[in-house]
Amino acid sequence: MIAVALLLAQTAAAPAAVARGEQIFAQNCSVGYCHGVAGAAGRGPRLRGRRFSKDYLYGVTRDGIPSSAMPAWKDRLQDEDIHAVVEYVASLATATDPPPPANPMPPGTGPAAVPNFMGPNAAARGHELFFDPARENCGVCHSVGGRGIAIGPGLAGGQEIMLSDKATHSRHVVTAKLKNGEEFPALPAERDENQVRLYDLTLAPPVLRTFARSEVVSLVPTSTWRHSDFVKDYSRSELDAIVVYLRWAATGK
Amino acid sequence: MRRCAFACLLVCSVFAADNTTHADWPHYGGQRSAWRYSALDQINRSNVGRLQAVWAFQTGKVDGGFNATPLVVDGVMYVASSWNRIFAINAETGKEIWHYFYQNPREIGIIYSPWTRGVAVGAGRVFTGTLDNYVVALDQKTGRELWRVNVEDMRQCGCNITGAPLIVKDKVVVGVTGGDSAHRGYLTAFDVNTGRRVWRFWTIPGPGEKGHETWAGDSWKYGGGATWMTGSYDPELNLLYWGVGNAAADFYGEARKGTNLYTDSIIALDPDTGKLKWYYQEIPHDVWDFDAAFECVLLDAPVNGVERKLLLNVNKGGYTFVVDRTNGEFISAWPVAENINWIQGVDTKGNLVGRNEPPVGKTSLMCPSIGGGRQWNHGSYSPRTGWFYTTGIEWCQAVTVSPEDPKPGMNFFGAVFQLKPPLHGSAGGHLDAYDPVTGKKFWSYPSKYPLLASQLSTAGDLVFTGDPEGNFFALDARTGQKLWNFPTGSGHRGSPITYSVNGRQYVATPSGWGSALAGLMPQLWPETESFPPGSTLFVFALPAETR
Repeated sequence: MIAVALLLAQTAAAPAAVARGEQIFAQNCSVGYCHGVAGAAGRGPRLRGRRFSKDYLYGVTRDGIPSSAMPAWKDRLQDEDIHAVVEYVASLATATDPPPPANPMPPGTGPAAVPNFMGPNAAARGHELFFDPARENCGVCHSVGGRGIAIGPGLAGGQEIMLSDKATHSRHVVTAKLKNGEEFPALPAERDENQVRLYDLTLAPPVLRTFARSEVVSLVPTSTWRHSDFVKDYSRSELDAIVVYLRWAATGK
Repeated sequence: MRRCAFACLLVCSVFAADNTTHADWPHYGGQRSAWRYSALDQINRSNVGRLQAVWAFQTGKVDGGFNATPLVVDGVMYVASSWNRIFAINAETGKEIWHYFYQNPREIGIIYSPWTRGVAVGAGRVFTGTLDNYVVALDQKTGRELWRVNVEDMRQCGCNITGAPLIVKDKVVVGVTGGDSAHRGYLTAFDVNTGRRVWRFWTIPGPGEKGHETWAGDSWKYGGGATWMTGSYDPELNLLYWGVGNAAADFYGEARKGTNLYTDSIIALDPDTGKLKWYYQEIPHDVWDFDAAFECVLLDAPVNGVERKLLLNVNKGGYTFVVDRTNGEFISAWPVAENINWIQGVDTKGNLVGRNEPPVGKTSLMCPSIGGGRQWNHGSYSPRTGWFYTTGIEWCQAVTVSPEDPKPGMNFFGAVFQLKPPLHGSAGGHLDAYDPVTGKKFWSYPSKYPLLASQLSTAGDLVFTGDPEGNFFALDARTGQKLWNFPTGSGHRGSPITYSVNGRQYVATPSGWGSALAGLMPQLWPETESFPPGSTLFVFALPAETR
């Protein structure tokens, strides 16, 4: 009896999931050059009229396909939405061509925007400033929450007080002197017996430069480089907002 | 005809050194005028029938097709293939000199991948842009990496680099994709020696800048304007020209009311500072995804009897725009496809007439399709015939527009679409010879499928190109008659070139079916789903006794 009720519940739920999945698919998977309307093929493979196990569909939708254009959707869609897409794509296995005309969504009823930032409102402003694409933003050198380029040190705790301190110099930055006379502030990246790789901090974004060992005369562990020169596009109050964001990112508070 | 030949001779004598290629193929478009024309004539109409394959080179990665333009400098070929594999090859023997395989992250996760269109060579370096949005400089002799720099976090912008960079003086200029992502486009210049960023030009003006008022609300932050192809350079005028892509959301324009500068525009910049000198917008407020991002062909021709410095750009809407390249003044516009219903035409001042915008919340038939009345693959200008050779595509699409909110870096189309047969005639493509100013058509070569490879024209009065079925062929530049054909086994999406080493002329072409468009084609031509991928460079020359 319980088994029957469960079965009924499952079959009853499926059409709703398929319909929800169709909506999500239309806006995220059909678009552009990807899987085409109703899975009719695009840059991505045709899904219509092909059989896939739901486990497989769930796996590749959730985690993506490495070394391909198929992204992982786990950070962009809720898990229940991924399941809905899986139900919809599985339902295309028996579809015959041509696909039905696209089902336009009435204005204002698209899937909810995927939030890029899931933290508290208090940290939202700092997050936006940290990654502001219109200026030399912090994410050009620092990675937080999987975004940004990890060149400078991680920001897991404590450093926020240095942000707006004009006098601060970084213990990470050295002065590189080259055989040809060039000098620049540098962040050592890696070295082996043949070569030295240094981030050139003269201007943002930092350039990763590779030198034969013989080209580098010395790496002097002091520098006139100041972090404040790189954050000059931000006002004091903006830097305070960024500190709030970083504190939240490091401690969850 | 005689008068035309005389005029061409005159043009050649003045500009030959700059705009035609000889032994080398030094830049993406041949020279930086983007003519894709070579003065080599050892291979010509009378002997092309005897052309033979002399070597082939396998890149080893077929995913995404082989979309590149090889470069040749001093007998060495430099070519890039999918996943940012770069090779230096002895251009005479086909023997590899070095290779550099860039380590991309395992997941790219954006739609503009994994193809690449090539490299730039100069200042003793080989430059390329990567799928994860870095610019990389290699030592030209050894392939050793000298520097790399991130352009913008690809996870944030949904953009990367698939176009070839352009070298102007001591700078390497690089565009970005991202026109179909919620992203604000730009063009960036880096110092060839150090990789330091010298300037960035935003293709969408920010607050306080002229043109910002052409965007409603916050739409400028996500308005597209990608610079995904390669620009041109006129050293005499010291102007850098670049085509700018569509506005985003591609099909839903209600949230970005205004003309949306500088999307779908040609921009002319001072290459030393990145400052705008002039612009010409071909499609104000684009709601069809019709980029003006393709090549800017710099040619000189008489207009109403007066010799003018011109710039020719074919856009994805299937219209060619010709402007004065000294100041952006409109000269003429003419179509390269027959099935065009998004406008009725272009008036004598360059204004679009009879705009047909796809209605929101409904499905409508728009021609050409998102694939374009022409694709990005480049045309060719021959100063010998004075004609411009380019392709056209006949196809439409059912497009269903719906409102969409921008999610930074994520797809931002505002519609779904499906390819449909054209209103008139059957779906397919053609390659045509045109007067570049008037658009008068001299001949047309029909093709069952859209032709998606670039053209190469030569002083041997030949036009080379390839088709999706894998044929690489030569047409008579004066009649369009097919003179030679070689089946390469995989479809063509790249750009053929010609060069010479030790007195022998070679013609080289990438062969390798793939790319976004190749993926869409089964919607109209189901059999193309099983067209074989590939990634092979074929090189041809005349047998020794023929020369």
